[in-house]
Amino acid sequence: MSAIDVDLAVNGFITGLFYALMAVGLSLIFGILKIVNFAHGEFYMVGAYAYTLVALALGVPVWVALPFAFLVGAALGWATERTLMRPLYAGYTSWGLMRDEYAVIVTFGLSLFLINLVDKVIGPYAYRGPPLVETSRVVLGPVLISGHRLLAAGIAIAVILATAALIKWSFWGQQIRAVSQNRLGASLAGIDTAKASAIVFMLSGGLAAFAGALLSPVINASPDVGIFPAVKSYIIVVLGGMGSVPGAIVASLLLGVIESFGAVYLSYQYRDAFGLILLMLFLLFRPQGLFGEKGREV
Amino acid sequence: MTQASPAPAAGAQLTTTKTTVEFRAALVAMAIVALIPLGVSNPYWLGVLIVSMYFAILAGGWNLLAGYTGQFSLAPATFAMIGAYTTGLLGTYYNVPPLLGIAAAIVVSGLVGLVLGRAVLRLVGPYLALTTLSFAEIMRLVASNSIDITRGDLGLGVAGLPIGRLAWYYLFLAVLVVLLILFYLLLRSKAGLFLQAIRDDEVAARRAGVDVVFWKTAAFTLSAAASGLAGALYAHFAELVTPELGLIAQTGLILSMAVIGGMGTLAGPLVAAFLVYVLSEWLRDVGGYQLVVFAALVVIFARFFREGLWGLAKAAVRRWRQA
Repeated sequence: MSAIDVDLAVNGFITGLFYALMAVGLSLIFGILKIVNFAHGEFYMVGAYAYTLVALALGVPVWVALPFAFLVGAALGWATERTLMRPLYAGYTSWGLMRDEYAVIVTFGLSLFLINLVDKVIGPYAYRGPPLVETSRVVLGPVLISGHRLLAAGIAIAVILATAALIKWSFWGQQIRAVSQNRLGASLAGIDTAKASAIVFMLSGGLAAFAGALLSPVINASPDVGIFPAVKSYIIVVLGGMGSVPGAIVASLLLGVIESFGAVYLSYQYRDAFGLILLMLFLLFRPQGLFGEKGREV
Repeated sequence: MTQASPAPAAGAQLTTTKTTVEFRAALVAMAIVALIPLGVSNPYWLGVLIVSMYFAILAGGWNLLAGYTGQFSLAPATFAMIGAYTTGLLGTYYNVPPLLGIAAAIVVSGLVGLVLGRAVLRLVGPYLALTTLSFAEIMRLVASNSIDITRGDLGLGVAGLPIGRLAWYYLFLAVLVVLLILFYLLLRSKAGLFLQAIRDDEVAARRAGVDVVFWKTAAFTLSAAASGLAGALYAHFAELVTPELGLIAQTGLILSMAVIGGMGTLAGPLVAAFLVYVLSEWLRDVGGYQLVVFAALVVIFARFFREGLWGLAKAAVRRWRQA
């Protein structure tokens, strides 16, 4: 492995960490409601704006702006679940027909709505968020990395581990997993399934917004900034197995590294196509993903 | 129907009547569209109406697939792009005349639709949406990155037709009406019942003897061919093809027309295509809020008025009759 390969691997791994922040939330939503949230990228976009605007316009310190972005994303997630997702499970019998289609339409519409609303209200210009630290270059052996990116990667690892632990061991996490496995059974056991869904949407929205805030010094907040990471997270949840949190994390890191090498050794122009081709191949030939359970209904 | 044919079952009768009412309403709407040039001669607004008809064909074709068969593809705009590039590339490299190019566009996009439809047969709901979305993005990336062949994002110049704007108007309208009649005949026949049976319960449809594989693939192929035709016509009208034709935002527009008009109805998406596109041109002048308004309308219609404008109109007529 030459020095450039190490550099590519480390940077791909870090990109994968940011993908994981997005993908874990999407995977949780799929687990609990069996839908794909096509507005997931817009939670990320809103987070990037929330962080950048309060830090730049109000002069709030970045360490306050970062959790603030999480809260904004969580609030948006809660509102989405409350107003648009309830019909998917709350006893609307006639909704059984075209349920999946409703979910696609309504989240797709929400995505278009948020993009265009921000475009009209805040404007189409890109805002560069303030970095967490001003150090421009850190040298770690053969790897050259900006101080902000290194710090953001550390924070991402901590948040991902905390989320995974929350899902695995906390009382709420156990309830969420119970509802994901069997909604009816969980509700018979006394679990408030509506509350579990609301928590998942808040967590998912918050994590996506947090990712947007962490990356805002690099990506520059603009109305359509969420489309790209959203597409990545669709690829990841399919690769990792829809609804599987560990699968989503592993697949995120894998995709980050694959893209990093692919862009250099295969084709820079088609770097965004690798993942999409993987997504199609997986859905067509191995819909349970790398880690999903076999026999899941497709 | 001849006298000899056996009386259709009660269910068939019901659907036939519903489809026929919708077909008549759509014909009335098309007749109104045909009369518009008598009062409007402004080439700009005629152009807007022509583009509306382009979208009406796309929304109608997508509605056949998503609204009637329940296959929620996110690639209708991509098939229009494929059709547009087919005739554009044939004309540029092989000097194929436009009419032949348009015919080739129908065949090529239909074939691509056949292959894709065949490949995604087993996928439903979110899986189908994601697969078709990836297909759409890959196709757009290919069109925009094959710069040597397609000139990428600059766009490919396409030969126009030696006809005026008014002739274009009636050409698009004629194509739209022919497609409308074809869809009506298809939906009125047994095939229409098969498609809707697959949408409502695929397992039960198969159990009852419907050839699910054939009809799902057929709906995909037909819908893709109709989109390809629309794209090819549009290419010769605009005299330019760009990868932008296949943008996800274009699919979003097609989807909003079908949802606002009423999915699974013959007239709704067609009428809504005109309303949405003309209104969006007007709103663009007022303040550029058109996309915000339509996106909000899509969410509101999907959430509260699932049968769209057609459903609202039907309810209004029912109330008026009772009063």
